[in-house]
Amino acid sequence: MTFLSPGAAVIISLAVLSSLGMWLKPAADWPGRKYWVFAAPHAEMYEPVIRAWNARHSPASQVRMGILSVPAMERRLLSGFLAGTPVPDLCEAEVSMAAKFFAGPVEAIGLVDLTERLKSEGLLDRINPPSFAPWSSRGRIFGIPHDVHPVLLAYRSDLVEEAGIDVSKIETWDDFVRAFSPLMTDKNGDGYPDRYLLNFWETNGAAIELLLMQAGGQLFDDHLQPQINSEINARVLATLAGWTAGPGRIAANAPNLNAEGNQMFIDGYVLCNLLPDWMAGVWLKDLPGLAGKIKLMPLPAWNPGGRRTSVSGGTMLSFPKAGGDFETNWEFARDLYLDPVLAEQLFLKGAIISPVMDNWTAPYYDTPNPYFCGQAIGRAYINVAPDVPMRTSSSYKTLAIARVTDALIRLKRRAEQGGVFDREVLLPMAREELAVAQSYIVDKMARNKFAEAAR
Amino acid sequence: MSVSVNHPRWVPYFFLTPFLLCFGVFMVYPLVQSIWLSLLQTYGPEYTKFVGLDNFWHLLRDTEFHLAARNTLIYTLGSLFIQLPVALGLALLLNRPGLRGRTFFRLVFFAPSLVGLVFAAMMFALLFGAKAGLLNEMLRRVVPGFPPEFPWLQEYVMTSLIIASLWMYAGYNMIYFLAALQNVDPALGEAAQIDGAGAWHRFLHVTLPEIRPVAGFVTLLSIIGSLQLFELPFVLLDGAGPENRGLTLVMYLYQNGFERNDLGYASAIGWVLAVFLAGIALAQRRLIRE
Repeated sequence: MTFLSPGAAVIISLAVLSSLGMWLKPAADWPGRKYWVFAAPHAEMYEPVIRAWNARHSPASQVRMGILSVPAMERRLLSGFLAGTPVPDLCEAEVSMAAKFFAGPVEAIGLVDLTERLKSEGLLDRINPPSFAPWSSRGRIFGIPHDVHPVLLAYRSDLVEEAGIDVSKIETWDDFVRAFSPLMTDKNGDGYPDRYLLNFWETNGAAIELLLMQAGGQLFDDHLQPQINSEINARVLATLAGWTAGPGRIAANAPNLNAEGNQMFIDGYVLCNLLPDWMAGVWLKDLPGLAGKIKLMPLPAWNPGGRRTSVSGGTMLSFPKAGGDFETNWEFARDLYLDPVLAEQLFLKGAIISPVMDNWTAPYYDTPNPYFCGQAIGRAYINVAPDVPMRTSSSYKTLAIARVTDALIRLKRRAEQGGVFDREVLLPMAREELAVAQSYIVDKMARNKFAEAAR
Repeated sequence: MSVSVNHPRWVPYFFLTPFLLCFGVFMVYPLVQSIWLSLLQTYGPEYTKFVGLDNFWHLLRDTEFHLAARNTLIYTLGSLFIQLPVALGLALLLNRPGLRGRTFFRLVFFAPSLVGLVFAAMMFALLFGAKAGLLNEMLRRVVPGFPPEFPWLQEYVMTSLIIASLWMYAGYNMIYFLAALQNVDPALGEAAQIDGAGAWHRFLHVTLPEIRPVAGFVTLLSIIGSLQLFELPFVLLDGAGPENRGLTLVMYLYQNGFERNDLGYASAIGWVLAVFLAGIALAQRRLIRE
């Protein structure tokens, strides 16, 4: 009698052998520090620093880096903080993750509070203050900022200069629209402009937030209370509705980090983009076709004398409470994030400005960049860096941005239905729509039984 | 002939134990736990507060939940009234006697369902591009005056989702219908034809009643699949899309459970969905019996 078929026998033998092998020789656990990052370019820049660190330290203090995607890292860290699953000793978190870490009671935040350490070592004075904002909750700081990420306006200099437009005379968004509008001609006679002035769309929540912050608008105040239906926000929304609809439409949707969007810039279908420093780095690599055709200028202000920049994206280095030996982790973090050589690499490889203000006098920031028609883009970003707006770390931020986006979509629809696109006429409608968004967030916060602690 | 079985009473229970253990640990316990969870508000598993039936009461006035239910219903109706007739139509075409290349066409129509949902969603994201998407490029060549930008994924979210799922699942359902059609006795159709029945009447009074059990099964599968819609809009729209136009019940469950960490509210949504699905399955079963 055959006990097992040959196939089953092979499968069972393999299972037994592999189990035996794993039992006899289990995977060795890394004795040193584990460090998670989400961006491969960051990891590439950190490699030499980590190699040098590991050469100087015992195995228990050596660092091994792992790259995880943002959603994977977010889920694994949250699981670790809330349910005690394994977490690394250090992690580099992206801005969208941080607010989720701060959602519950303060004792549930799984990261080490760095406030006193940053104060005692003088780092609060050395790092650009707005860079701490997204990593702070209830007056405590939970991460070391990796960047500043100021935003400038990138424009197709070849087309703009050919049209004889002098961008130095542009101070406000109204000036911008007036000066650039002659470029929106319909030469092919299809009834639509051949070009649009700005990459913006009413569904782009990140761009809406960026422009609201530039105007001085807030979604939440310093006490994390919603401030969505403010007059500043209503005025910005009323303007944005006019940018995307009706006879005064100046914007088109050219999604960033997307082939279709990139092609729209290359074709000159869209002339300007809200460009944070990190995106300038992406363009340098991904859009060689725009080399020598792009220049940067400060964002036009919402009012004369107003802020000429905003902020977009961000990363922090943080220390999970469940990680090992904090002192060694901290020493490594200082080595990494305060290293002037790394700051230089960050700029040279990614166009990212260091948040450490001591580095801002470095000569490499003044190097002319041929891609941007010889402009010293490092200096251009540093000039506006101290003025980047403060950001909220409310865990309701993502939801609030989604509802403000919905408010703009509804406002645009009302404008189109009524055939009214004038900012002053749209203003009362913008207030109504923002009131709906505000009420939604207030309701959500009120239902949260842990909100009292979160506030 | 009688077989005498002489073993202790506990032996059957002994052999049932592995199944009962697995069933208890992986089915019964999570079900009971999720009922308990639905009565709590949570922030992860550690921070919990008992709220009684508040999660269920809140669902009644939660506009986002209503929107998710509405979107899911529209998608389900789209699946039922567009996808299934198309699948049946394809099956009828492939079932025509003397059709050449039947196997090839069957493979062509079925192949999309072999593609992973995430991959399909990414492909459709390119296809539905507002400016340079393949669909708009084609329409621009065919329809005079078609605008240079047409925002499928902003303005026509449900239409886009139904088109994408039509491509993915019509061929899959077609296979069921084709199998059923091939089991219909040709003599029935011939007899009806001799009696003077036209093609439409033969389809309505001979073919359709014959494939009714399979049609009922495919309908049920389609409803259940549609009510569980998640990955396609989640990847295609990078979330719920503008104004939550792509928000579905399962996506809302995910948002609450895994983005807002309220497993209690997510469990309540899950139970409402489960009861709804059970109701549909029972109704459908009854309908088929009748």
